Amino acid sequence: MSTLLTDLLKRPSGESLVPDLRPLQLTPKIDPITQSVLAEDAVLRQLVDGLGSPLNIVLPEALDTNVEAFRAVYRQHRLRGRVYFAHKANRSVALVRHLAADAEAGIDVASLAELQAALSAGFAPERIVATGPKNREFLWLAALSGIIVNADSLDELSELAAVIAARRLPRARIMVRFSEFASHGVQLVSRRSRFGVPFAQLAEALDRVDKHANQLDLVGVSYHLDTIGLPEKAVALEGCLAALDACRRRGGTAWSLDIGGGFGVNYLADGREWERYTSELAQAVLGRRAPMTWNGHGYGLRNEAGTLRGSLGLYPAYRPISGPGYLDQLLRAAAPGQRRPLGTLLLDSMYDLDIEPGRALLDQCGLVLARVLEVRGGEDGGANPDHGDQRETLVRLDLNARDISLEEHGVLMDPVVISAAPPGPIEAYLLGNLCLESDLITRRKVVLSRRPRPGDLLAFVNTAGYFMDFSATRALHQPIARKVALFQGGDGWSWCLDEHYWPVHERAEAA
Amino acid sequence: MRFDDMTEAIGNTPLVRIDPAVHGLINIDLYAKMELLNPFGSLKDRAAWQMARPLLAGAADRGDTVVELSSGNTAKALAMLAGMHGLKFKSVTNRMKVPEIKDLLLLLGAEIDELPGQAECLDPTDTEDPLSRMHRTLTSNGSGYVHTDQYFNELNVEAHLHGTGPEIVKDLDGRAPDYFIACVGTAGSSTGVARALRQHDPDVRVLGLVAAKSDFIPGIRTIDEVHEVGLFDPGVYDTIETITSDDAIDGLLTLVRRCGTPAGPTGGGAFQGAVRHLAAIDATLTERRTAVFIVCDRVESYLSYLRERRPTLFGRPARRNDTRSLTDDEVAAAPTIDVNEAERWSGLIVDLRNPHAFQALHLDGSINIVDELFAELLHGGLPFSRRQPVLLVCPVGEKSARYAALLTRMGHPSVRSLEGGIIAWRDAGAPLVRD
Ligand SMILES: Cc1ncc(COP(=O)(O)O)c(C=O)c1O
Ligand SMILES: Cc1ncc(COP(=O)(O)O)c(C=O)c1O
Repeated sequence: MSTLLTDLLKRPSGESLVPDLRPLQLTPKIDPITQSVLAEDAVLRQLVDGLGSPLNIVLPEALDTNVEAFRAVYRQHRLRGRVYFAHKANRSVALVRHLAADAEAGIDVASLAELQAALSAGFAPERIVATGPKNREFLWLAALSGIIVNADSLDELSELAAVIAARRLPRARIMVRFSEFASHGVQLVSRRSRFGVPFAQLAEALDRVDKHANQLDLVGVSYHLDTIGLPEKAVALEGCLAALDACRRRGGTAWSLDIGGGFGVNYLADGREWERYTSELAQAVLGRRAPMTWNGHGYGLRNEAGTLRGSLGLYPAYRPISGPGYLDQLLRAAAPGQRRPLGTLLLDSMYDLDIEPGRALLDQCGLVLARVLEVRGGEDGGANPDHGDQRETLVRLDLNARDISLEEHGVLMDPVVISAAPPGPIEAYLLGNLCLESDLITRRKVVLSRRPRPGDLLAFVNTAGYFMDFSATRALHQPIARKVALFQGGDGWSWCLDEHYWPVHERAEAA
Repeated sequence: MRFDDMTEAIGNTPLVRIDPAVHGLINIDLYAKMELLNPFGSLKDRAAWQMARPLLAGAADRGDTVVELSSGNTAKALAMLAGMHGLKFKSVTNRMKVPEIKDLLLLLGAEIDELPGQAECLDPTDTEDPLSRMHRTLTSNGSGYVHTDQYFNELNVEAHLHGTGPEIVKDLDGRAPDYFIACVGTAGSSTGVARALRQHDPDVRVLGLVAAKSDFIPGIRTIDEVHEVGLFDPGVYDTIETITSDDAIDGLLTLVRRCGTPAGPTGGGAFQGAVRHLAAIDATLTERRTAVFIVCDRVESYLSYLRERRPTLFGRPARRNDTRSLTDDEVAAAPTIDVNEAERWSGLIVDLRNPHAFQALHLDGSINIVDELFAELLHGGLPFSRRQPVLLVCPVGEKSARYAALLTRMGHPSVRSLEGGIIAWRDAGAPLVRD
């Protein structure tokens, strides 16, 4: 028999709805490495006692697994090329140094300071690519150190050439980033991008490179599209193949195609929870069930005369095909024009594939710990059908929404409670430590496995990519979280401050 | 029947009884409303014509483009109607997932705009989704577009209130059926028919079918998406149930193989959903009842959808001379030569890569037969003489080794594969040319 949904929708004769009151969990996906850190609750408590709340934890060794998973996809498709870590996703130096120790891995830097960090971590110049718009200082250090410059505009090409010519620097290896690719037959509307050279200006871009041939050595072309949509990326990839072919026709020797980042992460353990949550959210917005969010916030959905309008402004937190799997899917996808798999086309033309994953390389690479300051309301403990404010459980934490920018990035998942309190799930809103009405850690009511007590810890797992330090500020003189690197010592986890981590600790030495 | 134009052929579709031996219901007569017999191919012809008719005259004067958010049947019908009136048609969609329908629309002269996927990094300043933005552009005056707006246009309902519904009552000798079952896309047909039937008999039970969440049945909404439809009013349906794409295909197979009805997936889904729902009721009945479901469109447009979900339906006998039949030992024993030897090769060189890659750079004197084509040739037998030595070239030497093994098995004595492929050749600094 099928799922009978009668009870969700009103009958004309007006039988009332039976609301679904089971707690709407969004259980995070916790891999063994994260699990083994959570298991060390005494250590975690000591760290927060000693270094304060919030506390960021990074797990450099988890990077190895992710890099290897991407390389496995390369091997499967017989492709060569470099995996560049998009540094912007986390400021940790421990992560950068750890990656530098992997002789093949590269790093994508998007600012002068990120370039300095990469150089001082020991990355050789051919393993560094500079992306995004760049100022003169950035271009100069890039040219001087001999890294690859991925040019974001035609003007940048000229400016780089001028810097090199004026200071008699060696010829720079460059790429050109393209955007606004044209599709055939079906018009694929892409979100407008502020970055890259419009593909229609391909000839002009190649002319510009030729004009500065003494300063610029074109080694490849690139794109980075901020979308989860595979069809748009397939169009862009095929466009870049055409650009490389055009370059070859002019006698150029560019061999690399850099497809940027945006491979995504699967944050949730159970797709059914995500489906149920989003369905119920729509019902809540339509007023057919009790609110599940602060002030009935709809995450982009709104109720217009009983019809759901808008679109869900949330990251699709359950993504069974993400990261390396997404890359694999893209390479298997048929090019919209040539109708041959994109991976095969790359290989046919002997092109190297470069990627710049940020978020996906940091999957399971860190967590944020926060101390519970106060737990208020909802004393009866259970799920609470009434939306009376007194009866909502409010948990105030010693961190603010900028310290853990899950909400800003639209990623919903429940924190893990580190506590000796008896188990029994509760629903609660999480409040931050700024005296601002808006300082909610999440506008969604989260589900906690147990009711925490003041002094307990909440762990926001899998938050190394963009959520940990991307937005943190010193508003109200609240401290910015210290960062600690955990690594496998002799037996179990050892730790050091992020800035003290070098990948030559004892275990690594022994290996 | 003599008509002035095809629009007169819209509607008046037959109501056909389904053989009880097929559906197995004892006390219920089950009828299919054969909307697949509409001239442009589906139920949506009615709504398209009803919505477009009042707009066409003005639009033709201004040279406007007709535009609709549709991924299938409505677009097909509107493209035909627009073409008959010398107008252009544009379809805007984020759900065009069936390649045949895409190709058919292009063939009909439609323009297709596909909306972008969700941003990987959420932009909190972007409060409007692409669909709403598109909507606003379309509805502003002087935009050059007339928008039929099927998800909100009451005429979509009226097409069925005055057409489909009354036809059913007439064919049942002036009585409404006891049960009416329909899949919900824009909700136009189910709402209009339900309204017409209830005017005759307020007790008609209406079952709406939607796709299960995260499933995909082309033409209808999922249980979540249905709330985004302006015409959707849950009060219309006594019951809303979900069907899966598997249900839809099972039903489709029954209709095409046993009922002489070349139905598409939603027709199959409606049949399957109807039988499932009615079977429970049937057991409790003591008197006869009638039920009607809608067969919306035809099967032909969905072959790739079916192939993807039920590849076994298309199982063909294995073809001879197929590389997939090679054993690992045969592949390992494939005759190869290294770059050094290859530089002195005087026979034929066949490059198996795609034509773009070949034209950009290749071994001097080689010819290009892309692997897919080469495989086709070999199904037919040896494509060159046994006395002609052949060197096969591919990117890394894997594909060429398989083909060399296959040609060896086929009796060719002097075929070789370039070890490491053209990449090894390049890396060794051997010459590559373009013509
Ligand atoms: C040029 C470029 N490369 C790579 C990335 C990393 O993207 P992600 O973290 O989604 O993989 C970004 C992100 O903004 C980018 O702009
Ligand atoms: C194949 C198919 N079946 C069923 C429907 C549902 O019809 P309605 O839009 O009237 O709900 C549609 C509508 O687009 C359709 O294309």
